[in-house]
Amino acid sequence: MDLPRHFSRGILTAAAGFALLVLGAPSWVNAQGRAAWERIDAATELLDGATPRAGSIRLDLPAVTQDGSSVPVTVEVDHPMNPDDHVEALYLFAAGNPSPEVAEIHFTPLAGKARITTRIRLDGSQTVVALARTNRGEWLAGQRDVRVTVSGCLSQGNSSDNSDFMQARVRPPSRMAPGEPGEVRTLINHPMETGLRKNPDGSLIPERIIEEFRAELDGEKLLAARFHRAVSANPYLLFFVAPGRHGELALRWEEGEGAGESATATASIPD
Amino acid sequence: MDTTRMNRRRALKLMGAAGAGTLLAACGFPAFAGRSSPGRVAIVGGGFGGATAAKYIKRFAPSVDVMLVEPRERFYTCPFTNLYLGGMRDFESLGHDYRELRDRYGVRVIHAMAEDVDVPGRRLILAGGETVSWDRLILSPGIDFRWGELEGYDRAASEKAPHAWKAGSQTHLLRRQLEEMEDGGTFILVAPDDPFRCPPGPYERVSMVANYFKNHKPRSKVLLLDAKDNFSKQGLFMEGWRENYGDMIEWVGRSGDGRVIRVDADALEVETEFGEIHRASVLNVVPPQKAGFIADRAGVADESGWVPVNPRTFESRQVNGVYVIGDATQAAPMPKSGFVANTQAKVTARAVIADLAGDAPPEPHWVNTCYSVIAPDWGITVAGVYEVHDGELREVPGSGGVSPMDASPDFRRREARFAEAWYAAIAEDTWGTRPAV
Repeated sequence: MDLPRHFSRGILTAAAGFALLVLGAPSWVNAQGRAAWERIDAATELLDGATPRAGSIRLDLPAVTQDGSSVPVTVEVDHPMNPDDHVEALYLFAAGNPSPEVAEIHFTPLAGKARITTRIRLDGSQTVVALARTNRGEWLAGQRDVRVTVSGCLSQGNSSDNSDFMQARVRPPSRMAPGEPGEVRTLINHPMETGLRKNPDGSLIPERIIEEFRAELDGEKLLAARFHRAVSANPYLLFFVAPGRHGELALRWEEGEGAGESATATASIPD
Repeated sequence: MDTTRMNRRRALKLMGAAGAGTLLAACGFPAFAGRSSPGRVAIVGGGFGGATAAKYIKRFAPSVDVMLVEPRERFYTCPFTNLYLGGMRDFESLGHDYRELRDRYGVRVIHAMAEDVDVPGRRLILAGGETVSWDRLILSPGIDFRWGELEGYDRAASEKAPHAWKAGSQTHLLRRQLEEMEDGGTFILVAPDDPFRCPPGPYERVSMVANYFKNHKPRSKVLLLDAKDNFSKQGLFMEGWRENYGDMIEWVGRSGDGRVIRVDADALEVETEFGEIHRASVLNVVPPQKAGFIADRAGVADESGWVPVNPRTFESRQVNGVYVIGDATQAAPMPKSGFVANTQAKVTARAVIADLAGDAPPEPHWVNTCYSVIAPDWGITVAGVYEVHDGELREVPGSGGVSPMDASPDFRRREARFAEAWYAAIAEDTWGTRPAV
């Protein structure tokens, strides 16, 4: 799909984040000596005065990526996931996007580990920030700089195909080692229109996104996600189920007005 | 998006400017007056990058000692192997030797494998223990494969399900498998995520396989399973497939469950991310890649497996005095193409000579055109001009572009002829060879 116009402009101009890497400054301190989340209003509002523990969330992104419309990111919070002490929520921000909120993920201990993989839109080179809150109210943080380029040989195709609109896909856990959480892959075919893109006649294409995703195991909450428009088209989410859990996985994706799609799969994770 | 729109006049103007810059610079080189040899430059790899660098250093500064280390006496290019597979080109026409570099330009060509780099000692260690001393080193090692990263796909598997992403025995193997396949079979190509060598390559590959099928096995199918949702010249390729091959070629992108996560080379089966099994008659897997291994030995590759470079000179960011060009580098937005390796080699040749003379490197410009041949009379292109801006590589705004959609048959035919002319011209510029087609 096409990137909104402002995306392509941003990709050409923004390179500040990369300069940091070159200078070798600690990754969570920018040139002004402030952590990246301090520059994101939505993040400081969430924190409400709390200071997160830096370095306890690992973000895995390519250091250089050629396609800002779909950047793979894996986020893992280094924290237990037991009923007494676990990660409750994970917030993802792209500091250099027009609206920095990307996604929030709410976990229960049933997830086994606080780790997800998804694909996001990045408006040029910038810092991707993650914050996590535990059930005890502790805040954790992590961040990573990404350089986004565009390549003439990798120009965006113009081939949006609506034939599989709202088709949901799920891959239940398979071939896992005993005692390890099982990996669930999900995807729904959806354009995730940002509301920033224009039709050929110049009119704006209205915003239309999947806003919510929920996963339950035999009726018990496993994970819930809120997506913003910086989640790439065809939202992809990989998450986990704790060892020793067996049952029916029920998945639900929803647009704003309640329109949605469901899918089920059987999960059986050995102890 | 604006960048996909054709702006050929502007592109040609800018390319002209870049060309003129190279000529001017060639006249203005330091003379190294009064010294027998201003320095020794060793170059590893005799492909588009290394051979061009060797030739242009000798052209710009004949008194520099240039040693080119390349095991093969005859080098076969990856570009245009697809045309060989499609029955449009003889394999021998893709081979080039080093006589011109040796005899006309005075390059010392060493046919040996470079096995290690002794950076502090400024020596290259060849297979067999011989060493080559250098003052500056240029690595143009191309790519290696990340065997095993795609489950089930290792070197042994590639003997059954070839990659054919380096020219040679793998190309012949794939050709033989296509010839032995029965009409009505399915050819599956597995395409990797970025970055990889030759971004339009997988799409030209399936075009040329379809061309072979159309002429010899018309009931056969082509399935391209892709780890990406967008690819180079996508609209143009899809138009060309439709016009030339009807519905013979099916492309499945990542969000359509095209990403392959496991290969069974014995059964010629692949499994996609969401669990679909596809069975092939001929299976062509283009695996994930990284810089050629000598980059690791020299300590210039980073955790991504590719080589970060100083954008002005392509000197390694990690090791002084070692320059890296071509597919091995992180040079985005420049693609990993033979054309780019050739222009990077010229810029780096100048930078190395300036460095040996103690001068500042000149202001660089690079240019690229990727030709793709969809059918014998159907060519398409993407072009770009690149510069350093705020310390980063970028495509010159408004430069370049791609072939227009819905162009006339005559336009497509001419671009196919330009592709052949491009190959002849770049081969002559790189190796000085003029192969018979």
